[in-house]
Amino acid sequence: MTTAPETTDPLAQKGKPRPIKAGVDDLVEVRMTVNGTPAVLSLPARVTLADALRDHLGLTGTHVGCEHGVCGMCTVLVDGQAARACLLFAVQLDGADIVTVEGLGRPDDLHPLQEAFGRNHALQCGFCTPGFLMSSYDLLSTKPEVTEDELPEELSGVICRCTGYRNILTAVRETHEAHPDGIPAPGNCAHRALVGRATGQGGGSTDGREAGEDTAAEGTRRIDIVLPDGDPTIAVDIETEIGVPVDAVWRVFDDVHLLARCLPGAELTEDLGEDHYGGRARVSVGPIKLSFKGVAHVVAHDRAGQRLRVLAQGQDTGGAQTQADIVLRTEATATGTAMRAEAKVYLTGRIAQFGRALAGDVSRRMFEQFADALREAATSGQAPSGPVKAPSALKLLFAPLIDRIRTALRRGRRTAR
Amino acid sequence: MKAAPFAYVRPSTLPDAIAELASTDGGGKVIAGGQSLVPVLAMRLARPETLVDINSVAELDRIGTAGGYLEIGATVRQRRVERDPVSAAVPLLGMALPWVGHRELRSRGTVCGSLAHADPAAELPAVACCLNAELVVTGTGGARRVPAREFFSGAMTTALGPSDILTAARFPIAGRGEGFGFAEIARRHGDFALAGVAARVRVRGAETDAELTGFGVSDRPVTCSAGGELATALSECGGDVSRLASTLSGPLTAVAEELVDTDGDAHASRDYRRRLFRTLASRELSKAYERARRSAGEVNP
Repeated sequence: MTTAPETTDPLAQKGKPRPIKAGVDDLVEVRMTVNGTPAVLSLPARVTLADALRDHLGLTGTHVGCEHGVCGMCTVLVDGQAARACLLFAVQLDGADIVTVEGLGRPDDLHPLQEAFGRNHALQCGFCTPGFLMSSYDLLSTKPEVTEDELPEELSGVICRCTGYRNILTAVRETHEAHPDGIPAPGNCAHRALVGRATGQGGGSTDGREAGEDTAAEGTRRIDIVLPDGDPTIAVDIETEIGVPVDAVWRVFDDVHLLARCLPGAELTEDLGEDHYGGRARVSVGPIKLSFKGVAHVVAHDRAGQRLRVLAQGQDTGGAQTQADIVLRTEATATGTAMRAEAKVYLTGRIAQFGRALAGDVSRRMFEQFADALREAATSGQAPSGPVKAPSALKLLFAPLIDRIRTALRRGRRTAR
Repeated sequence: MKAAPFAYVRPSTLPDAIAELASTDGGGKVIAGGQSLVPVLAMRLARPETLVDINSVAELDRIGTAGGYLEIGATVRQRRVERDPVSAAVPLLGMALPWVGHRELRSRGTVCGSLAHADPAAELPAVACCLNAELVVTGTGGARRVPAREFFSGAMTTALGPSDILTAARFPIAGRGEGFGFAEIARRHGDFALAGVAARVRVRGAETDAELTGFGVSDRPVTCSAGGELATALSECGGDVSRLASTLSGPLTAVAEELVDTDGDAHASRDYRRRLFRTLASRELSKAYERARRSAGEVNP
């Protein structure tokens, strides 16, 4: 077993690998910071950093090509310098600071390098892109005096099989010209939840606790839900009109069990006390079926202020994790109630691989279903007949698409006129 | 391609590291940067039972000058050497490092690791041989210094015993009147060289010395024994650099015959490598000669 000295703070030993002795079959504990988030892993010594990032932390942006240091697909920043993630054993990186392509820019605020790659068609099939981005970030940040003539040689550590080199060089050159005194730092490094695909593995949250232990197999424990600091994966802000008076809506809000039955696919299984509830939620989109088990905490139930705030956290067996901060506000109108929902949803693991726009559409659709159910519950004073069905595969998948097509057609017609 | 399972030890002192290595009875391997070792493990060409990671041994992480040498500890990364101003004391190192792999590899790869790995086509062993650096080898019996030209005994074979660690490399600091040259030809920048040369020329008054080391042309870095003839050819040109190519041509043909003894491979035949070697050597010796004269103050900088 590992003989690492115990420490409560994962960053206490930052920068210095701790002495360790591990047998062939032992797991070695590794503590590192990945994209600003402290992570604690327990791994066999032969697992490379590339595999640790992909399989144990769910960060599949780092691509794996040749696995012996030739192709450069797996390039990441280790303590601020580009390195091949396939040529490093993760156990060697105890205390290291890692930045992957996920940490470089945010979906809504890409790093200038990412912008330039997109603008110049420097992505092509996209497989080498993470490697080129991280390698060129390292180049422009450590050698801002690099000349255009030196670029091909400096970027020769990554291979593009589409032979898109001209466009890649143009993208790097443009970024360099736009930022002659050094390029902006990676823009997406903050504390967030990291959960991998391998069972029992995960990045720790800020207190070093492994994410996997939040939802133990037997029963549910009441936990404090700590949301990540970074930007949410999906931000939903929707308003809808419900044709029933505010009082009737709040009668549903007052009854948590009734409220839960209005949520598509959700089910309350346990009352954990102090406004904490254990429950399950099923979501299926196309072939993807996720069954989350988790905890919800009603943090604010303010009838006078017309505001209900719920924090939720769930994990599915495949390692996908979701956390959400949901605020519902009501306001009386002439015809009934205007309800506004703001939700910040954080997704990790394979679920986060979805196109974010589509995930946003799905969330909006789910909220509409919730509003319909709420209307029914508020009108009848009882739960909708049976729990609201889990959002069905086809309907959910196609409804947003049909919506989009309709919008596009409408726009098209308008232009035609 | 994944490495076969291995035990992993990360001691915090050098005696512990040597003891761990000795206890594996030859089944252990030292890892510092691992940029040469990990590919070999991934392809399962090597299956050590135990990896002894020396990165926590604080005393190996140092670089500095002392007693006429630039001393580089076993865990000092190549990129750190490249960027540290103290490395200017050994100009040949600064010329060779940009050719070592790619930036991404130099971030983690160590100078001593490259020397201990002893790939015949690698740059740093050639630099060590050209300057005849001192390699500090520490084992159960204590530390000893091995001259670089005696350290490399064949392809990936060195004077290191099963429980020895190459703890530091000591490169002689360049003096007044010394000039250097370094170049290689590879299929892609950063790949191993088809052929490469490291050259050192010293001009002291009327006297000229030359050392020429070839790599990628034999089973180890090879330093020519005809340094005297090269020096004579260099001084014969009488400072007229345009005449260097023709005066060097004869001696270099003989040197190429002597040094380039590979049978050739899929990338280049022996004859092609000899031509590469001659061309590169002529070019780099000329540059080194000019730099040496400039350093000696014989020509204006």
